[in-house]
Amino acid sequence: MKKYILVSYFFATSLVAFSQKKIEYVEYDLANGIHVILHQETSTPIVAVSVLYHVGSKNENTNKTGFAHFFEHLLFEGSENIDRGEYSKIVEKNGGELNANTSQDRTYYYELLPSNQLELGLWLESERMLHAKVDIKGIETQRSVVKEEKRQRVDNQPYGSFFTEMFKRVFTTHPYNWAPIGSMEHLDAAEETDYINFYKDFYVPSNSTLSIAGDIDIEQTKKWIQTYFGSIPKGQALNVYRDFIALSDANFEKTYSISKSKFDALNFMNPKDPEAKKILATYAAKPIEIKRTQKDNTVLTSITKEVIYDNIQLPAIFMGYKFPEQLNTDSYAIEMLNEVLSGGSSSRINKTIVEKKEMATFAFSFYYGLEDAGIGIFAAIASQDVNLDSIQREFDLQIDLIKSELISDEEFNKARNKFENDLVSSNSSIAGIAENLADNHVYYGNANRVNSMLDNYMKVTKEDIKRVANKYLTQDARVILHYLPKEK
Amino acid sequence: MKKILFSALLLTHSFIQAQVDRSIMPKPTEAKKINISESQVFTTANGITVILSENHKLPRVAFQFIIGSDPRIEGDKAGLSEFMGSLIMSGTEKRTKDQLDKEIDFIGANLNASNSVVNLSCLTKHLDKGLELMNDIMQNANFPQSEFERVKKQLQSNLLATKSDAGSMAKNAVSKLNFPKHPYGEIMTESTLNNITREDIIASYQNNFKPNGGYLVVVGDINRIELEDLITKYLLAWRTNGPIFTNPANDGVFPTGNRVVFIKKPGAVQSLVSITYPVKIRTGEQDQLPLKVLNGIFGGGGFGTRLMQNLREDKAYTYGCYSSLRITEFGSWMSAGGNFRNAVTDSAITEILKEFQTIKTDLVKDEELNLTKSSMAGDFARSLESPETVAEFAYSIIKNKLEKDHYQTYLQRLDAISKEDVLSMSQKYFTSTNCNIVVVGNEEIIESLKKFDSDGKIEFLDAFAEEVKDIKPATISKDELIEKFLFAVSLTSSAKELAKKVKKVKSYERVIDMSSPQIPIPLKMTEYFVSPTTEAQKMEGQGMVFQKSYYDGSTGFKFDMQSGKKDMTAEELASKKKSSGLFPEMNYKTNGTNYELTGIENDNGNDYYVLKLIEGENVSYDYYNTTTYLKEKSISIQKVGEETNESTTTYNDYKNVSGILFPHSLTISVGPMNLIGNVSKMELNGKIDLKSLKE
Repeated sequence: MKKYILVSYFFATSLVAFSQKKIEYVEYDLANGIHVILHQETSTPIVAVSVLYHVGSKNENTNKTGFAHFFEHLLFEGSENIDRGEYSKIVEKNGGELNANTSQDRTYYYELLPSNQLELGLWLESERMLHAKVDIKGIETQRSVVKEEKRQRVDNQPYGSFFTEMFKRVFTTHPYNWAPIGSMEHLDAAEETDYINFYKDFYVPSNSTLSIAGDIDIEQTKKWIQTYFGSIPKGQALNVYRDFIALSDANFEKTYSISKSKFDALNFMNPKDPEAKKILATYAAKPIEIKRTQKDNTVLTSITKEVIYDNIQLPAIFMGYKFPEQLNTDSYAIEMLNEVLSGGSSSRINKTIVEKKEMATFAFSFYYGLEDAGIGIFAAIASQDVNLDSIQREFDLQIDLIKSELISDEEFNKARNKFENDLVSSNSSIAGIAENLADNHVYYGNANRVNSMLDNYMKVTKEDIKRVANKYLTQDARVILHYLPKEK
Repeated sequence: MKKILFSALLLTHSFIQAQVDRSIMPKPTEAKKINISESQVFTTANGITVILSENHKLPRVAFQFIIGSDPRIEGDKAGLSEFMGSLIMSGTEKRTKDQLDKEIDFIGANLNASNSVVNLSCLTKHLDKGLELMNDIMQNANFPQSEFERVKKQLQSNLLATKSDAGSMAKNAVSKLNFPKHPYGEIMTESTLNNITREDIIASYQNNFKPNGGYLVVVGDINRIELEDLITKYLLAWRTNGPIFTNPANDGVFPTGNRVVFIKKPGAVQSLVSITYPVKIRTGEQDQLPLKVLNGIFGGGGFGTRLMQNLREDKAYTYGCYSSLRITEFGSWMSAGGNFRNAVTDSAITEILKEFQTIKTDLVKDEELNLTKSSMAGDFARSLESPETVAEFAYSIIKNKLEKDHYQTYLQRLDAISKEDVLSMSQKYFTSTNCNIVVVGNEEIIESLKKFDSDGKIEFLDAFAEEVKDIKPATISKDELIEKFLFAVSLTSSAKELAKKVKKVKSYERVIDMSSPQIPIPLKMTEYFVSPTTEAQKMEGQGMVFQKSYYDGSTGFKFDMQSGKKDMTAEELASKKKSSGLFPEMNYKTNGTNYELTGIENDNGNDYYVLKLIEGENVSYDYYNTTTYLKEKSISIQKVGEETNESTTTYNDYKNVSGILFPHSLTISVGPMNLIGNVSKMELNGKIDLKSLKE
């Protein structure tokens, strides 16, 4: 015993000389509101070009869900200068890789390209931001694709619906109530104008962050950024431009009380006509109001228990607690709590529920921290012939234990070592660095947070961990879902 | 000076659009040259080939040990090495599993092992401890009994979960169909898992985990001297242990024609389709790169492939349709497909087969060839970001005996591949007429798939790629079936009549003349029955008695020429009790027999009700014709010690003998042996003398 304590003290102090490398970067804003972050790294001749739009499923209306995720697909349809179906081909043809993802809080697009193709990457993403194709043809194609995605990822997947079932019960009033993939009925019922309005509301410079990492020359990169992104109209002038492209002559005139002919299609922001100039200046001065959601301060007040039948062989149990949002200072202690409970084979949940008592083939806990709120999840897939209530009792025993007693020194240092390891890995690729810088700017208002992550975890004490366990693992206020096999 | 003014100007006039023509796609600047750093290679005294790729960018190191032995055939212990791999980290001579887990987690390391590879990655400062743990596992794993049992249960649960996971079911089918007599085609099932003992696992570990012939690939923040010190400290003591096992294995088997194989997934809203066949190539061969280019154009990822353009972009049948060309040291295969909603599954299969045919016939277009080549060039460049890539290259060069500059020249070789090269690859390796078409899905689509099968007959497999018979639900209950059978065979129509007739039968003797292609002499089987429960059998030929058996309701024995006379065990007696009497079916309900009517099966063009009987570890299936209700077949599966014996008996040509129908021709099959019999004598209530039989 004594030996262990000495060893752990040694490790605790040795962590002062930590292994984290500082990430250097340059950041600034364009006049139209785009936030730019540039990180140079020349060891491999590749570059990551990414744009984060601060729009997710939580920005949707209750009767028009699925839009944010749908746009992730729609933005591959092309733009004014990129033909339908060409966007991905262009990237691949030029030796690149691309993808996108949507969450409740944001939509993120990126290309990984050979470093001599940086200008191409900037052109591609700026085309999407300025004038992506948002029309009925693209909408219809992507509707089928999204339907198939839902079938494959959710409907046909054992336990695939757990996400939706849990979220809608933990968040009864906040838009986190529905999953990003949304409702097929809403997407089918929506009209072209609904989609165009979503684009105009959220796909705008003041709502975006351009994050580039890799083998770049900072000065040349800045020049290109100014050319391709700096030229995107500011404020509401952008939507005047977009209306100019999409609306008929009659409708444009009805909306802006000026004829399209007064504008120059080839140099839209610099018309010769003084009336057109005045209108653009007026609209440019007006910012686009972005509808933001509020932090969700609701709490669960009772235990909700439901049984859900699914195409599965082994029953499963999912428990959900209302946890704080990721920005909350408690989130670091919560993550360490989670690490002690279920990180690695020596973790408490794995040792007891899976290994010693053999009650589950798979059991874990997870902290899902979003911008406005969070969920703490406990999940287990039962072993053959094991009753779900007995697994729940085991989870409850673990929860009671971690609430009543401080964790050991050994567990504490183990968690600290694990976070150090993970942080070194998280910044090992330029794609990861670009994303981390963007996320930290958008959620925390501070890209430099990438360099203080380890500090944040090292500040957490054993008492903090006990405190957050007691504060958030509210046994009398949670959602419990039992997944059972359908009757044959 | 000018430069600064110019950029200042740009900043202040940023509102004014910089004059760029957006309709013109930007061109690339000059590409930077790729440089692959050299790895250091050396061999240890105990036969490990060490490959070191230094990279000091981040303070972490990765070690990978790969065993030298090739995969083995496991037969009725399929899954043995997989089980061993799941257990290898369960404890060593020095540490229990709990201790191992604690120490690994404590240094924040990732340490995992399978049946052929052990991986460690950790921060440089924890390296000594990490390697000590890795080494302990490689050399001293001891597979504790309790862990054996725990992991066995987990594997059983996993097998159960496979039954609702389309991906696993398809994977099993693909492996078994392509590689039937090959390590890749062996699937772990509930019964093979049951055959594996802890001793088997220990033997597998000792036979496979040895230093000689193995590879140690090291990547990261460590130099040669430090590495050699660590090897001396931990790895040199590992003793060599006999030669490694080599088996290059066969190239797999093509079906003759297209073969549709269906696996039922009740309630599925989508089908998982995999069109698959073997590809005769191994890693490192000349055709590997042009084949990869072909696959890249066809369906190997990205959005611009033939499969994606057709099945997703054009027809919107799916979220993703891909082809995978897996090339390995022991065999390679193609598999193309995806998830398709039920209504369009057959159309999707038509399109995929069409795409295979098209790419075998016409040259690919410049555009798609260039797209794939650029895409692969980009993948290659991006892979260099990861330190592991360089080490993998060094390992590959040694293992596959490639040229030293194989990866340094990769981009040039890739660039040189022509449309003609691609066409010759598709003609040599692709097919649209000798494919296994695997579909995991809802049975409502079965009819629509028949047209793809060369002989119109779809094969049904279960989740573990074992053949399954197509069973329809029965419309009557098990007891109704039994009643119908008894009435039919006794030519009565009420329980009272039946009982009366049965009571009248005091005894019978039946002589069956038997012959067998495996036995050169004619045989005679005599069966005796004496009411209520005595029965005896004798099999003889050329004056010798080969087999006998006797049971009188409380005692019994068995005899055969090889093992002599043996009294029936208590279990055998109990079992006999349940199945004795003129018609054993009469007593099932009351004597505790475990019986169930599983459904209606079609066999050789006739429908049968199948009655399943379970007695301990033995199972039998009785087949009653749905039209006549007569019993026409019986399959019996018996466990004798470690072995399972399956025998099938058929009954035909029922004739009326004193008011009761008895079969007059029989066949018996046990393993490779077949017997055909004709009843030459059937006498009821005659004189029976069992004295000579009992001796």
